[in-house]
Amino acid sequence: MPSRHKRPINKLFIANRGEIACRTIRTCMEMGITSVVGYSDCDALSYHVRMADQAVHLGPSPAKLSYLDVAKVIDAARATGCDAVFPGYGFLSEDPEFAAACRDAGLIFVGPSAEVIASMGDKIATKDALAAARVPIIPGLNKVTSAQQIVEFGNKVGWPIMIKAIAGGGGRGMVRVDAPQHTAKALDQANSIAGKLFTTDAVYAEKYIKGARHIEFQFMADQYGTVIHLGERECSIQRRHQKLVEEAPSTLLNEELRKEMGAVVVRAMKNIGYVTAGTLEFLVDSDMKYYAIEVNPRIQVEHTVTEMVAGLDLIRLMIRTAAGQALTVRQEDIVLRSHAIQCRVNAEDPKNNFAPSFGKVTYLRQVSGPFVRADTGIYQGWEIPPFYDSLITKICSLAKDRTTAIERMWRALCEYEIWGVKTTIPLLKQIMRHPDFVAGQFDTDFIDKHLDELLNYVEEEDEVLRLARFVAEITAIGKNPYCR
Amino acid sequence: MTTKPTNVHPTLSPKENVAILRRDKKIYFTNTGPRDTGQSDFKNRHTLYDLIRLAPLYNRSGYFSVENHGGARFHQNLLQNKIDPFEEAARWKERMPDVMTQTLVRSTNLWGYRMYPRNVVALSVKAFLPYVDVWRCFDFLNYVPNMVPIAEEVMKGGKLFEPAISFSVSEDCTNAYYLKVTREILAVTGGAKEIILCIKDMAGVGSPKRITSLVDALLQKYPSLIIHYHRHTTDGLAVPALVAAAKAGAKILDVTDDPFTRYYGHAPVRSVNALLQEQGMETNLDLTWVDEAARIVTDFIGNYQEFESQFRGFSHKVTEHRMPGGAFPSSFEQAEKGDFLHLMPHILRGMSYGNRFIKYFDVTPGSQITWTTWAAIVQFHFKEGGYRQVDQLLDACERFIASGQRLNKVTPAERDILLGLYSRATDDLKSLLLGRYGPLPFGWPADWVYQSAFGDAWRERVKKDRIEASPLDQKKKENIAAIQRELEDKIGRRVMPEDLVLYLQHPGATVDFLAFRRKFGDTTILPTRVWFDGLQAVGREVYFDHQGKPNTFKLLSIGTEVAGVRHVVMAVNNTMHVFPVDMPSAKDRLKTEARLADPAVKGEIGSPMMGNVWRIGDKDRSLKVGDIVREGQEIMNLEAMKIETAILSPMHGVIKDIPVKLSQAVVEKQLLLVLGAAPWSERKGKGASKVKKPE
Repeated sequence: MPSRHKRPINKLFIANRGEIACRTIRTCMEMGITSVVGYSDCDALSYHVRMADQAVHLGPSPAKLSYLDVAKVIDAARATGCDAVFPGYGFLSEDPEFAAACRDAGLIFVGPSAEVIASMGDKIATKDALAAARVPIIPGLNKVTSAQQIVEFGNKVGWPIMIKAIAGGGGRGMVRVDAPQHTAKALDQANSIAGKLFTTDAVYAEKYIKGARHIEFQFMADQYGTVIHLGERECSIQRRHQKLVEEAPSTLLNEELRKEMGAVVVRAMKNIGYVTAGTLEFLVDSDMKYYAIEVNPRIQVEHTVTEMVAGLDLIRLMIRTAAGQALTVRQEDIVLRSHAIQCRVNAEDPKNNFAPSFGKVTYLRQVSGPFVRADTGIYQGWEIPPFYDSLITKICSLAKDRTTAIERMWRALCEYEIWGVKTTIPLLKQIMRHPDFVAGQFDTDFIDKHLDELLNYVEEEDEVLRLARFVAEITAIGKNPYCR
Repeated sequence: MTTKPTNVHPTLSPKENVAILRRDKKIYFTNTGPRDTGQSDFKNRHTLYDLIRLAPLYNRSGYFSVENHGGARFHQNLLQNKIDPFEEAARWKERMPDVMTQTLVRSTNLWGYRMYPRNVVALSVKAFLPYVDVWRCFDFLNYVPNMVPIAEEVMKGGKLFEPAISFSVSEDCTNAYYLKVTREILAVTGGAKEIILCIKDMAGVGSPKRITSLVDALLQKYPSLIIHYHRHTTDGLAVPALVAAAKAGAKILDVTDDPFTRYYGHAPVRSVNALLQEQGMETNLDLTWVDEAARIVTDFIGNYQEFESQFRGFSHKVTEHRMPGGAFPSSFEQAEKGDFLHLMPHILRGMSYGNRFIKYFDVTPGSQITWTTWAAIVQFHFKEGGYRQVDQLLDACERFIASGQRLNKVTPAERDILLGLYSRATDDLKSLLLGRYGPLPFGWPADWVYQSAFGDAWRERVKKDRIEASPLDQKKKENIAAIQRELEDKIGRRVMPEDLVLYLQHPGATVDFLAFRRKFGDTTILPTRVWFDGLQAVGREVYFDHQGKPNTFKLLSIGTEVAGVRHVVMAVNNTMHVFPVDMPSAKDRLKTEARLADPAVKGEIGSPMMGNVWRIGDKDRSLKVGDIVREGQEIMNLEAMKIETAILSPMHGVIKDIPVKLSQAVVEKQLLLVLGAAPWSERKGKGASKVKKPE
């Protein structure tokens, strides 16, 4: 067990932007920690820069030249006298070199060790480590050298087969093969995608689990060997492996299975020697058999739903853990109550094949009201830059039961109003009203299966605003062309 | 103990209301301001925002009824006012619960421009029954069988049916003739117990003496008949004529608020009331509220100045040309837009002859047939030979009439002119001549008219196609379910029964209207000036209520046009919003500029007239580029002045191009469609030789 010294964190460099940077700044404010953020050219007027105590210009807008530039980020953290660095999700959060560079620069990295990140970033190593801790994993082919190999494997375990990038993650770099004759082409494709997106084009193969639900467990570990889990999150509502809606708890698990899987998670993480917050992702098939697929060694976008049902601030816990404090909550203290749902509002046009929709936010009405939480990194008048991901707001609703949480989410989605960009809100509203979703009957194919139906919406505008649009048109033209 | 009600009221049965009118000595009024006056003098542009302010005042003024519905306002509401006729009717009913609401129905044309079969009539009338108390129904041929379907539905529905006799002044329009029409009406309505008879003087031509004689003749024969005199002001004699009618025994008179009165609408209520009282008659008005309504009208009437007629002033000549008040300003507007305002005196002169060649009443759709026919005749001759040729034509008509309409009494040149008079007759005029609207009131026109309209083969055409009985008997039921599906396809949502009724009257306008409503919502809650002109200047603000909540829009800035877009910044309820507005760009304007058909190019089909493309294809099939059409097939339909004109394919062919869009306004000769030779017609050797030149 690695032993570390307690070191207070008084000033934190947040190596991220957008909603997760803003959300972290809030926790810093609560904890009395001075927050510092970096920013790129196009982010000079972004919300995280406005909110932080201090900001450092990192470089040009492309992420490679700013947020992904390890040296610049480390320099910025040191120059501003920070004790620690928080990476958030995306960007450098899963780069073991970055974690190592922080350590070398004398900065506390608010996350797992570089070694753990490195091994969790290698899918094969992860699977080996999980298997060693007796966690069920998907039957797989670790070293893919030829298409023939995959064909044999497929014939043994059954089709379809998924080919995945070893260095992949976040649902990117996956190709599905439905039948042996498509294998060669799929392998080429998978190699090529992996080569483009990641550091290596190496891939591995896995049995495709049909009708599966994507269920993940949140856990928290301190430097003293204490590991607890905070229950599961249901993340099956995805499009092309990008999650749209997450909730906790899952309608699929009963208390017994939850306990069993939770124990598996805790055992595995103890085995791995994991420290700080992380997620173990599972696929659960229709026979309730579960397979671990990967570990996310970082805070996740959907951590909010766990926070809501567990009543814990995960980022606060991460900062405390990084500062060498022991977890004070024990597994038996964790009471998961109520039901939380999160919707991701992306600046995308669902009707135009989810094309990103960038531009100026000319009007914004955020949501509020009872049991609704909104995490956002945007404000009215701000221009959404085209360089980064399209997530603009996460809306989370909490209620005693799932039905009420859905109704509450519907209300919040109706209240949210944004002008200037297209968003996924109308689609999310459709999902909240879909009978299968409401009944809790869905799997990871839900969106694909119902896409036409879900996209069959009309964006309804507030009646007064529609009239305002009319008056604007008449005013611009100078006279009413409809009546003359 | 029950007491007999003493005041007419919407909640009483037609029989009870008619009984009260019979017992009561007082003279009653119908205020036509919101509908007919608005149509006759302000082109039906009154906004609901302004009009509805009058409802609570009318409600207390003691009117018999208020005409707030029907006629051309129905179409105009969909077309340019963007008012839902159902919502408008419902709002009146709600804010004027104690005074009857009134509509005007064009017999089986209802509020549209074609004859509807019984199932459509039943559906449409039923839909409006809850909102409309008095149903005035006329037929431009005074052909009573055309009124029957309406009479049945209205009387069955428990509302007051008011059949109207179309009134005019001519040697044929005698008391005996109107007694005959009235007898036919009363035979249909089962007597006079639960109906009111309207004398519809839509052009305003009945002199005090003439109207006295007619009312007297009717009451001599049917003493218990309640007579309602509808009269326009065009000849300048409305006030004395109305008073004369009342003196002769008419019970209800059409009037309007004093400040609504112009030239072609209705007489001022206060003036008529004063003269009646001076002559010793009692009236049923509460002047406090009449004056308050007048104050409101004065307040808003300035909004409509630009829509008043191009030509203003009384015209006693109306007794000759008989153009009805409701068609006056729109005709002048057409003439101005079509650049033939200078020909108006000639057109009106032509009309005064035309109504002696083909006899019917100049009211919808007859008035539109008259107008399009004579506007086309005079324009054609003007284009060919200027004023000289127009004068020749009109002089020939005049001499022909002076000769007692005998062709052998005029010169051969004049005879030729007359035989060519109707050679470019519209489909509607031909339909009229073939009895498709019903038999003409004073018999079929002379043979030379048919010869002129149908050419050498006129005898066969008359023999084969002229309907001598009721055209209604030949009207097949329409497949309403199919029409509903058609509308569903067009608007992409479930169709409400109300949508369907609107669509049945005016298909194109309804689809456009529903799209507008979907985009902007209910614009009738916006103040009139903002509806017409927007916010005009930076800093301007508008206030209005929506569902009881006050709202304000303030114009903060307005950008210049960049790449076809202007950015308008407004504070909407104190919150700033930016609205990008796509401007009708110069490019678009060029695109809509008319390309004319080249008559030398085979297959280029030009528009025979100015109008609106409301259908591409025929009733059953819409056409697109690539479709094959047969010779004589209807390939497009234009609408102008409430008249539909079919464009028939002059050849077998395949559609190469359709350079016009639905709802597009087109000018005469504008290229509508380009046809190429169809492969199969070439094979069979049919081709250029059989192709007729497009007209």
